[in-house]
Amino acid sequence: MGIKARTRLTHGLLYVFLTIFAVVILYPVVYVLCGSLKTNLQLMGGGSLLPTTWEFGNFIEVWEKANFAQYTFNSVFIAAFSTAGAVILSSMTAFCLARCDFPGRKILKNLYMMTMFIALGAVTLRPLYTLAVQTGLQNSLWPIILITIGAQGNNVFLVTKFVSGLPKELDEAAILDGCGPFRLYYMVLLPLLKPILATVALFQFRIAWNDYITSSVFTMTRPELRPLTVGVVQLKYGASAAAEYHLMMAGAAISIIPMLLVYLLCNRYFVEGTTSGSVKG
Amino acid sequence: MNTKSLKSRIRQNRTVYAMLLPGFIFLVLFAIYPIVWILRMMFYQYTSFGDFNFTGLKNFSTLIHDEMFWNALKNTLVYAFFKLIITIPLSFVLAYFVNMKLRGRMIYRSIYFMPTIISVSIMSTVFYLIFNPYNGSVNQLLMTLGIVDEPINWFGNQFAMVTVLLIAVWGALGNYMTYFLSGLATIPTDIYESAELDGATGWKRLWHITIPMMAPITQTVIMLALIQAFKDYENIMVLTGGGPNNCTETLYLYIYRLMFPMGDSYGNVVLNYGYGATVAFATAIIVGIITMLYLRWSRKMDETF
Repeated sequence: MGIKARTRLTHGLLYVFLTIFAVVILYPVVYVLCGSLKTNLQLMGGGSLLPTTWEFGNFIEVWEKANFAQYTFNSVFIAAFSTAGAVILSSMTAFCLARCDFPGRKILKNLYMMTMFIALGAVTLRPLYTLAVQTGLQNSLWPIILITIGAQGNNVFLVTKFVSGLPKELDEAAILDGCGPFRLYYMVLLPLLKPILATVALFQFRIAWNDYITSSVFTMTRPELRPLTVGVVQLKYGASAAAEYHLMMAGAAISIIPMLLVYLLCNRYFVEGTTSGSVKG
Repeated sequence: MNTKSLKSRIRQNRTVYAMLLPGFIFLVLFAIYPIVWILRMMFYQYTSFGDFNFTGLKNFSTLIHDEMFWNALKNTLVYAFFKLIITIPLSFVLAYFVNMKLRGRMIYRSIYFMPTIISVSIMSTVFYLIFNPYNGSVNQLLMTLGIVDEPINWFGNQFAMVTVLLIAVWGALGNYMTYFLSGLATIPTDIYESAELDGATGWKRLWHITIPMMAPITQTVIMLALIQAFKDYENIMVLTGGGPNNCTETLYLYIYRLMFPMGDSYGNVVLNYGYGATVAFATAIIVGIITMLYLRWSRKMDETF
């Protein structure tokens, strides 16, 4: 067997291997997209992946009767404010940590680093829940927004690294022109931070849009505040769960389609952002 | 530096402090305050609103005799071990392949990474249907292919942990593949070229160049994966709720159920803030110790090889 034939054979095997994995990875997502158009009977019966009849009415039913119009609004509201908050907080904090020489800088930097390594899980939600009840915020979406923003340790770290890589001459010129720290941040550096802030925004959007645990804790007694994730999972526990597979799938599709679209458009930022923060030798 | 200059430096930086304040409030509220709360609550018995009393180290002696805790610890270790053993080599292999000059490799990369952007809870709900013993696609496929004769109960005692692990691997592969890809990109191509001149191709190249050069990044990836595996509980909460008979309950899930024993969780846990705080503290210490042991061990490996 010649070298050429051998490479072709190995390449062929490689493609088979990669394609099997691609199918396994894609299957559940396709299952949702196709399942959202099936009747409940078809879903219960299993069988073919493609729907035999196309039930676009599932979406209308879930939107109107299962309250998903409200859930969608809640998800959008949470994700929008959480993303905006993260971008503002992380960029402002990172600018100060990277560029301003103030007493306490080292301590603050270490505090932010510390938050990245301590993970306590659900336990943190208990005192925060109590706090939300005391301040009367528990009847709104704000606790969820604020908690998904959180301490921003990762993002502060990510942006600080980026700011440190920008030339210092920029600041010096601006300071000579009489710029204070805020104007230096807002007028000079912020426009240059666009690429890294796009990553921060994307990651925060993903966290907020996909959040389940915080949202389910804060909406246990207030169904009208539920985002899509909680709405879909609740259908699993509903009294008539078996009768509502098609609603579950349509709801799941409403939740994942926007995320898939964002991914299609910004796939590069996701991949770059995943590695730029954590892995460097 | 004397106090006067410190004072004047603080005054000089007034705007900077004002800019840091919003972020600092978030830091205190969402990172520091919960830690302080836990450290205090560990010593209290706090079972319902407004009713708590100091019990000293009682929670810790409860912890030592708590079968649920040891069971959750065992499950966490089993889960983390198998998740890593499967995910790390497989994601390395995928990264290695999609790093080759193959046509369509970007499409494969994008597909493999996709699970990491979709909600864990939603996908767990979907997998719950796919693995459904009665009409799920997995059993249908296995039976059509003749691999099994009767449906497997994927959420029963015997298979629940396997199911949870399979789904966790599905969600994690793309993430670690991406880390490995960024590592592979740092290997200079001229090393490969000169190796090729020496006649090292294919497996030899992989074994003598790629794997040794990837060692440092692999260490970091394993550490990140280890910490992440301990933190996973959203998937388990939705898939099995820790059941059946607590056989998939992990530490973080147990903490959640002590803090919020309603909704998704079953009724075999009683609300107990104080004790929940103790379990959370113990868990943080255990995760810290295991991470440190791993770091020391991997450094020793470095010196040996």
